[in-house]
This record gives sequence, C-alpha cells and structure tokens, in this order.
Amino acid sequence: MNNNKSKHALLSVSALALIGAMLTPAVSWATDGETVIQEKCLSCHTRTGNPDAPYSRISEQRKTPEGWQMTLHRMQLRNGLVLSSEETQAVIRYLSDEQGLAPSETAPFRYVLEQKPNIVEDVDPAYAEMCSRCHSNARFGLQRRTEGEWKELVNTHMAIHPTTELHALARDRRWYDIALNETAPKLAMDYAFNDAAWKKWQTMARPALQGSWSVSGFMPGKGDYSAILTAVKIADDKYSVTMIGHYSDGSELRGNGTANVFSGYEWRAGLMLDGVSVRQVLAASEDGSSLTGRMYQSAHDEIGGDLNAVSGNAIVGLSPSALKQGETSRVTISGAYLKGSVNLGAGVKVLKVLSRDADRIVVEAKASASAAVGMRDVSVGGTKAKALLAVYDSVATIQVSPPQSLARIGGNGGKIPKVQSTYRALAFSAGADGKPGTDDDMRLGYMPASWSLKPQNEVAEEDRDLEFAGTIDSNGIFTPGDTGLNPQRKMSTNNVGMLKVVASVKDGNNTIEGESDLLVAVPSYIKRAIQ
Amino acid sequence: MKFTHKIKAAALIGAVSTVALMSGCSMNPSASLNGMKGGGHEYLLTVSRPNQLHVIDTETNEVVRSCDVPGIFGQGTVEPSPDGRIAYVGTNKWEDVAGFDITNCDMVFFTKQSDNNVTVKSFVSLAVSRDGKELYTIQNPTRKLSDRYEVMQPQLAVYDTSAGLDAKPVRTFPVDRQITKIMAMDTGEVILGGNDLQAINPQNGEIRILSKLQNWDRAGDKWVQPDAFAMHSLGEHVDEFIMPYFTIKWNGDPGDMEKAEFWWGMSRVDLKTGEVEQTETVPFEFIVFNFITDPADSNILYGAFNTLSKHDIREKKTLAVHNMDHTYYNLNMTHDRTIYVGGTSSDISIHDPETLEKIGSIQLPGDMSTSAMRIAYLK
Repeated sequence: MNNNKSKHALLSVSALALIGAMLTPAVSWATDGETVIQEKCLSCHTRTGNPDAPYSRISEQRKTPEGWQMTLHRMQLRNGLVLSSEETQAVIRYLSDEQGLAPSETAPFRYVLEQKPNIVEDVDPAYAEMCSRCHSNARFGLQRRTEGEWKELVNTHMAIHPTTELHALARDRRWYDIALNETAPKLAMDYAFNDAAWKKWQTMARPALQGSWSVSGFMPGKGDYSAILTAVKIADDKYSVTMIGHYSDGSELRGNGTANVFSGYEWRAGLMLDGVSVRQVLAASEDGSSLTGRMYQSAHDEIGGDLNAVSGNAIVGLSPSALKQGETSRVTISGAYLKGSVNLGAGVKVLKVLSRDADRIVVEAKASASAAVGMRDVSVGGTKAKALLAVYDSVATIQVSPPQSLARIGGNGGKIPKVQSTYRALAFSAGADGKPGTDDDMRLGYMPASWSLKPQNEVAEEDRDLEFAGTIDSNGIFTPGDTGLNPQRKMSTNNVGMLKVVASVKDGNNTIEGESDLLVAVPSYIKRAIQ
Repeated sequence: MKFTHKIKAAALIGAVSTVALMSGCSMNPSASLNGMKGGGHEYLLTVSRPNQLHVIDTETNEVVRSCDVPGIFGQGTVEPSPDGRIAYVGTNKWEDVAGFDITNCDMVFFTKQSDNNVTVKSFVSLAVSRDGKELYTIQNPTRKLSDRYEVMQPQLAVYDTSAGLDAKPVRTFPVDRQITKIMAMDTGEVILGGNDLQAINPQNGEIRILSKLQNWDRAGDKWVQPDAFAMHSLGEHVDEFIMPYFTIKWNGDPGDMEKAEFWWGMSRVDLKTGEVEQTETVPFEFIVFNFITDPADSNILYGAFNTLSKHDIREKKTLAVHNMDHTYYNLNMTHDRTIYVGGTSSDISIHDPETLEKIGSIQLPGDMSTSAMRIAYLK
C-alpha cells in the first residue's frame, strides 16, 4: 500500500518531489544516499568491482536532480523499487552531488528545468528526427552517459515503447540500427560521461548562499516586483527562505518557504507567496554573487517569470526601464537597502522621491525634451548599475514575447487543467539610423499593452478558431477553451486553434502593434519533471 | 452485382448442404451456424472497447453477437479464417491472440506469446493460411534482465490453428524489424509488410523481396524514400494486399518544396499469384489512413480518414471527396460494393460507392480506436 501511495504522489506531482523535501525535517539528511543505493538498488543492479564505476548502470550516468528524480520514479513505477520519501530525497541528493552536471553543462538547457514554456530549440539534425521528434533537446542534453549507457537507453526505448520504430520519421529508416550504431556514439561524444567541466566543478569551492539578496522579477497578472530574499541555513544545502517586497503597483509581496541546493548550485525552493504555492528554480553563479532563473506557480507552471537575485545591496531592476523624451513618469528602482540620492543619468531629473522601502525606491522622474537618446547608468548613493535606463524619442517596433507559443485546452470536468499562455510587449526604438529592425535598435524593455486575438491564417478563419479557442485578458494572459468534443464545430472537433496574439502599445498619439503566433493544442496527458 | 452474388451464395449453400448430408451431421446447415447464414454470407468483424469482438450482419447492418475478448484491449486486430467461422483477435496490449467461433462466441484458440521475462509484441501482424490450418504472427521480443533490457530478433511464429487454448509456435523463423501487416497468399507464402514488402515461406523461412520500399532503387535526388505503413483492411474482398505509401518527387533540387510533387503510392499484391504492382496512385492532397480497391474496377480506390474519397489511379485523379462527421481510421467493402467506414469512435458509417453519400450507420457499445474492420465470408 505504501508503495502505491508513493507512486500516486510522484505521478500526480512529479515535478514537486525535489521541493517536497522542504516538508521533511532537517534531520532527514542524516539518511545517507549511498547506503540507500546499496540497500535498495543492488537487488537488481550489481557491484562491478571497478572502484571508478562501482554499480552497474548507475555509475556510468550523470544527471540533474530532476533527471535522477525521473529515474527513481521509473524504477518505482516499473521495477518494484520501494523507497520512502526520505530515502528518495537522499538518493537524489547523493547522485546529484556525486554524479551531477556542472553549471556550464546545464547552462544551454536551463529553460526546461525552469519549466519555462514556449522555447523553440535549435536541434542538431542528427538528433532532430531520431530524438527530438518526441523529446526536447534538453531531455537528452541534460544527461551524460558512457557510450554503453547511451546504447542501453536505446534498448530501454525498444522495450518500454516498442512502437518507437514504427512512428512516422522512424519507419522510413532502420531506426534501431541507426539509434544504436550512429546516434548513441554521437551522444557519447556530445554529452560525454567523462567531461572536464564536472571534474573541475567537483574540486571548486561551493558558493555560499546564506544571507540577503536583492531580487527583481516578473509574475504574470501581477507585474514586475522587487523583494529582499533572506536565506538562513538550517542544514547542509538547506535554507529557510523569506521574501518580502512589493509589486510595481505598490501592493505587498510576502512569502516564506524552504530551499534545497543540489550539486552545489541548483537552488530549488518552494514558498507560499501571498497565499499561492510557488517554486523557484535558480542557478547560483559560480562565485555565489547571483541567483538567476524562474519563479512560477506550483499548480500552473506556465504562470511565472524570470527572477534575478544579487547578493547584498544592489540595484537589480528598473520599472519601467525607458523614459520618452519630455515625459514625466513614476520609476521603481529595485534593490535591497538602497541608501542615498537617486541619479538616473544625464537629462533625466528626479522630481520627487515618492517612497523608500527596504526593497525599492519609487521616484517621479522626467526626461527633458532635449535629453540625448540612449542608455543611462543608474545609481543610488554609492550603488550603481550600468546601462539600465533608456531615453527614447519614439517606439518603433513592438515584439510580442514569446514569438511562438502553445496553450492547451483542458478543464471542463476532466482531470487535466487548461494550460494558459502569457505575453509581454517588448518595445524598441529605431536607433541612430532611424530604421527599425536594424542592429542599432535600442531595447526599451517591456511596456503596458492592450491585448487582442485574430485568426492566424485562412484555415483558422474558416474553422472560426477565434470563436472557440480561447480569450486573452488585459494582463496578456490567454485562457484556452474547454477540452472535449464541441458539436458546434466542424466534425465536432475540440477547441484547438491557430491564433495570433496582438499587442497594441500607445506611444504619444501613435499606436504600435506587434503580434506573435499561438497554437491552442490538445491536453498533454503526461507531465514530466523534464519534458 | 448483388444478383450474381446471391447466385454464388446459393451455389455455395448447396455445396455445404451436400457436405452436411454426406457427413450426416445435420439436415439444416443454418442450424450448425446458430441461425447465421452460410454460403459466403458477409459478416463484418470489429473490436471495440473495453474489449469485445462484434459480429455484424452486412444484410441487416445489425450486431449479431458480441464476444468478450480476454485481456486488456490491444489494437483490435482481427483476422477471419478462410471459412469465415473463426475470428482471430489480437489482444492484451498487442501480446495475445484469441480465436472465436463467430456463430457462438466459443473461444477455440488462444496463445499467450510473452513468457517469463520475455515480452512479445505483435504490431497488428496476424494472418491465417489460405487453407485455415496455420496462423502466423510476427513476434517482436524483448527480454528484461536484472538491470537492463535485451532487444531480440523478430521472428515469424507459426501456430497450428487446431492447437486449442494453450497454443505454442510449431515453427519460428527470423525476420526483419518494423513489420506490421501480414497476409497469406495462395503460393503458401506470407507477405511481410515491413520496411520492404517481402514474402516468407513459412515451411522453411526463406524470404524473397516482393517490392522494395525503404530500400527502393530510385535516385535519392529525385525521390524521397517512401513512408509506407499499414494497420488496417488491405483488400481481402478482392484477394489482394495493399501497402500504401507516401513519397515526394523532387523536380528541382532536393528540398525545393515549390517544385516538388507529393504523391500517394502503393505496392499491391495479387494474393492468388503473388504478382506485385508498385505505382504512384494519386497526388497527395489530404491524409488517408488506408485504401481499398473497387471489386468492379481495379483502377478505382477508396480511402478514408477525415474524408471518404474515391480515386482513379489510371488517370491519377481524385474523383470524389465526402467530408465525414468525424475522423475514421479504416474502411472496407462488401461484394455488393457497400462501403463501411469505421475506427476511432463507436459508430460505423455506411456509404454508397457511387455518390459516397452516407446511407446508414451502426452503433457499437464502445470506441473502436485502432481496431480492424474485416469481412468474414461464412461458409
């Protein structure tokens, strides 16, 4: 029964297991991961007699914490492994620390760990059809295996998903032969088990993450925020976390929770933030001066945004990050314990300090009509930030971020919730050449926009996708339609569709529009820690 | 056609009666058929969830009986015996085969292909010899070892259809990977629908090429290797086997989609002679899941998916397209040329071969999903 219960918990909240550790007391780390491996894993795996790779299969792979979590999940689901929650955490921690990935190895694929939606990958053609027609590049790009282990992975595919070799883009070639004899050796070269980066990282001092951090970030529906994040060590690689700050509209932000750190730099925190369960997936820089990544709602990981934290008192963000020539505006400077006078650079006058809090300063500022177009450094007392504020003449183009996106129908009494998608309008001025779309365009940052939808093409128009596929609100959050057959649609099809998301930004008397593609797709029935 | 068919049926009934009289079993052939009609009467066979074989009378379009199939719904593969009496069903997640007497649902054959730590999957590959004595599957085995999996050589497994409810293969022969649909020919060979179309002699395992597909000889800068795949009905109503494929013809540089032509094609095998015709059929304009041939004209094909369509392959033209109420995977045809379109959902849609208009419907208790829709000619 216990086994069934733990399986259910893992299945329903697979991505939570790492953060679930916060619920277990600090003493749980006394459970030794290596002992658990020897007691529980060696009933099937064997001792090799080789001290460099002591356990069959296990010792010739390196993975992220999420990767090891998925492995343990599969062993419990398919191979009868029974682990307590405490033992699971201990094994994930041990393997992530001893057989993890170095910061430089995870850097190209952090988006998948951060559950960041709407990333379009640029995949090596050798993998595009063999691997990436089912998986993200990040799924295999975040693993390191010996060639023998990459080959065993091919065999696992053939046994667990035997129709793999019959799919479109597999049945037109000798898929198994190619996977075994061409793809696996290439994977062993590109994602090698023995890599200098990991060996070096293991010898380096681990960043100290205790202390206070200046934080800025964005949360859909709430907007930009600033905060002070305080991390208090409660055990090795385990911190009690508080976050106190403000959203840009002045409302308070307050939360607390626990963070676990894996492989010396992988920060995984779970917090209750203003009554909503959220997670942070961050990477500490090698010198321990910054934490970067994403914070998102636990129940809807698509609702989230970038989070940047800098150790100690620092200026970490500006909202808005651009002022139009001649314009007076309220500007929020994010940063912890900022003291002293505010300087927004040449031609920009701070008219009034509206408020000072521990996490931010809000000022009223005016860019003079003759202020030179360009970037300004920002300083508060002795604390400085380079090229943070743009002064511009006019908005030339609007890019809707993300440029391509996916939402999923759901709800309607079913088990799979809707997956929303969220948008921001990113503004640019034309730069010195006066021509938009050239290299000297100046990034002005995100601007408020009004949001609308239109059909993406003639098929979408004929199928009346606009009517059925979903709606977008004033915050740029798209909510897809209900799942299930819809008798009002052609062939009673469901509420999928192809739309364009349109942002309209006011710039003086002008309105500038930008648009991006949105595919409203069917539900995804399998949720993995690494998609 | 119908008239001719009836005469043929009457003749066959006469023959069966004669046999019955001679054997002294029964004065009334229909009694042994439990009220069903013999003489080649056509019964449509399909499987629906949770896992039932349905026997449908094509004269009344009513479900005559539904037989519970053991195990979890597999892929719904069905293969009728040549006398139309037994329906072999692939079940239990592509692993087991159960044979049912369609006149009473008695299970007369069963094989569990997986054994101990070896899992055997058969990807819709199920065939019966033309004399009904042997049943063939393609087995794709993998062995689970203590900490890894071993991928084993696929093989043709030959079963004696009279082996009962614990049947084991009487012979096995190694075959290529990626084989799906198979079918027996009058030559005694079994067609292997895989990356190429092959024929295997089930007595000695000798394999010959019928029609090259994955390894075809066309220049790579002129043609794209075909994507050939079949899961469903393939032409038993006209004694043929169709392996459809999709290919691209490059008229400019390879990859130049502006100048490219997109084609449906097929390798069509005559089950009586083993002769093969490989040809591009019609331009690719929409997805079709499988094609069948018109019994009255071998140049006319019908296809189904979101549409029911009619094609002239000599003229390489699509003659008519009918939009379906929903997506269907599968179609078949009786000798009077009535078209049955099924799969995906729980209804079979019946259509006129001339107009393609819907003329009837059969409601089943569960979804057919990927199930086959085969015709048993009950003798």
